[in-house]
Amino acid sequence: MAKVPPMQAADKLTFLLSLVPFLIERGTVSVAEAATHFGVKPELVREAVKLIAVSGVPGETSTYQYEDLFDIAWDDFEDNDQITLTNQVAIDDSPRFSAREAAALIAGLQYLSSLPENSDRAAVASLMSKLSLGASAAPSQVAVEGSETDGTLALIRQSVEGGVQLEFDYLNSRGDAERRRVDPLRVESIDADWYLRGWCHLREAVRTFRLDRISNPVVTDEPLSRAAADVQLPDTLFEASDEDLVVTLDVAAAAEPLLADYIPEGAVRSEQNGRVTTTVRVSHYHGLKRLIASMPGVATVVGPAEARAAVAEWAAAGAARYR
Amino acid sequence: MPHDSSPARVPVEERLFSLVLALLATENGLTKTEILSTVQGYRQSFDRSGDNANLERKFERDKDDIRELGVPLETVQSPGDPGNNQNLRYRIPRGAYELPLEVSFSAEETTLLNLAAMVWREGSLSAESRRALIKLRSLGVAADEPVIGYAPRVRVRDAAFEPLNAALGRGALVRFSYLKPGEAESRVRTVAPLALVQHQGRWHLYADEPGQPVRKTFLLRRIVSKVETTGTTFELPEGDLSAIALHELEEIWNGNTAVVEVTPGSDAATRLHKRRGTVETGPSTLELHFSDANILADELAGFGPEVLVIAPESLRDAVRARLEQTEADHG
Repeated sequence: MAKVPPMQAADKLTFLLSLVPFLIERGTVSVAEAATHFGVKPELVREAVKLIAVSGVPGETSTYQYEDLFDIAWDDFEDNDQITLTNQVAIDDSPRFSAREAAALIAGLQYLSSLPENSDRAAVASLMSKLSLGASAAPSQVAVEGSETDGTLALIRQSVEGGVQLEFDYLNSRGDAERRRVDPLRVESIDADWYLRGWCHLREAVRTFRLDRISNPVVTDEPLSRAAADVQLPDTLFEASDEDLVVTLDVAAAAEPLLADYIPEGAVRSEQNGRVTTTVRVSHYHGLKRLIASMPGVATVVGPAEARAAVAEWAAAGAARYR
Repeated sequence: MPHDSSPARVPVEERLFSLVLALLATENGLTKTEILSTVQGYRQSFDRSGDNANLERKFERDKDDIRELGVPLETVQSPGDPGNNQNLRYRIPRGAYELPLEVSFSAEETTLLNLAAMVWREGSLSAESRRALIKLRSLGVAADEPVIGYAPRVRVRDAAFEPLNAALGRGALVRFSYLKPGEAESRVRTVAPLALVQHQGRWHLYADEPGQPVRKTFLLRRIVSKVETTGTTFELPEGDLSAIALHELEEIWNGNTAVVEVTPGSDAATRLHKRRGTVETGPSTLELHFSDANILADELAGFGPEVLVIAPESLRDAVRARLEQTEADHG
């Protein structure tokens, strides 16, 4: 999954303010359990507990007397990695969300409104209003249109739940249609585009399928042969392979981010007068010609010659339909 | 600067944590001098007889940082001496700090919120949703294991997004150059940002342009300059502005239709058929909705010979011109 960047002071403060009410509620909890619950390294929990244990309020004397500080059961902490707060000050409950934190989650929920898990609209609406209520100010105005998908997502879920394979017609970017049987492993999305990653029984390999290229999906009776836990899925949606073709492009600098998924790490690039020369990796020219034809004037193939010819031919065949 | 070379260095998070604890614990508030002279992390550098300008600046920054996290740090006038800044008192009212009791989340809801946070993997929205999840977990509710793994993602790749989002939060006017399609030169616009919305995979800014009667929607990818945030602030109007912005985009989408002929069994036939709102009006003839003719023309050109635009005429010409340009560029 996505790499978690190291915690900044703001994140650490948030963690301290959140860990205290969690510890109060749990009574006694192991370092390992707290780390798993918050999704952080055990060492970070230990550091935070040590800091909490010596923190407190200035108190009446303004000198941080013993009774003005948090305290923990030190022996149990040091010997058994168990945390128990034995004295608490100032904090009882969880902090509110900031306006922008609540806005980020609300916008995320809107985007995911087409997931089968979100089919209960009233429940999602109530969840959003709880986030607003739990924010320190009105959530800022960021929104994402719920990306609509057809019933395919529900069938994918049904197939995993039932432990059976999913079968569908799939059109690859070469334009060939095939009936595929797949063990669904993960559903991914990028903006308005949705993908299924699964073990393809036809290819006997992990494949990525665009949901809008899937037709006639059916949940079969065939049991799944692989579960998500058995298969190492690469982090990137578009995996590079040794057989990839390397193509040199001339791209308007402003449009370069649009091609980021195709540009391999460490690609040689040069920039001049707002145009960038860079390389992309593609598995064949069928996908490339579609991509380049959708960016007229913005991206041009420099080489190899066969790639240029494939794009020219595709565009010419398209233009010919208007002549 | 003798204070900064003090041997007793207290980590930033310890100073911030101690500040929050001290201000939560006080009913009547603490004056700045009380804070700087007694709170852990400040007191070590406090000079009773001298100049504490550095320490005061540090406190000003800390206040901003803490407020950014949603902690309601407030100032109260000293009752006996209103208007005297030296006697302003600082505190964090408990009721505005704590999550209200009625806000609790089930395991199912926690799962959904985990997914919602995962949507953001870059920029400030990613940091904010990460912090929101830490706070959510303080409630002690464990998420359900989802049936199938999801890895949703919304991209925030437009360079204009971060400065616009920051200006939105602050209610500050912004200035940028905007290139309208079909125009040769970009024009400098100064607007009040009201909402940032993603529609059909593209980010839009919904804004008031001073002196203009109607609100405008700007496509972020057509902002061709750096976004400058001005010092001028404005009052955010009432209402669910992002919902209004999405609704307006939706109306434009519904109002615009194009008719295309697709090659049966082709990629264009499958994908355009699945596009939201598409209606099959005849054999291999589809009626599509769109919000921006230039963007649709790019998309349709990508399908090459698999698509023939029937109507409108302007879209037909636009797609044809694009294909001819691509052909010429690669000839």
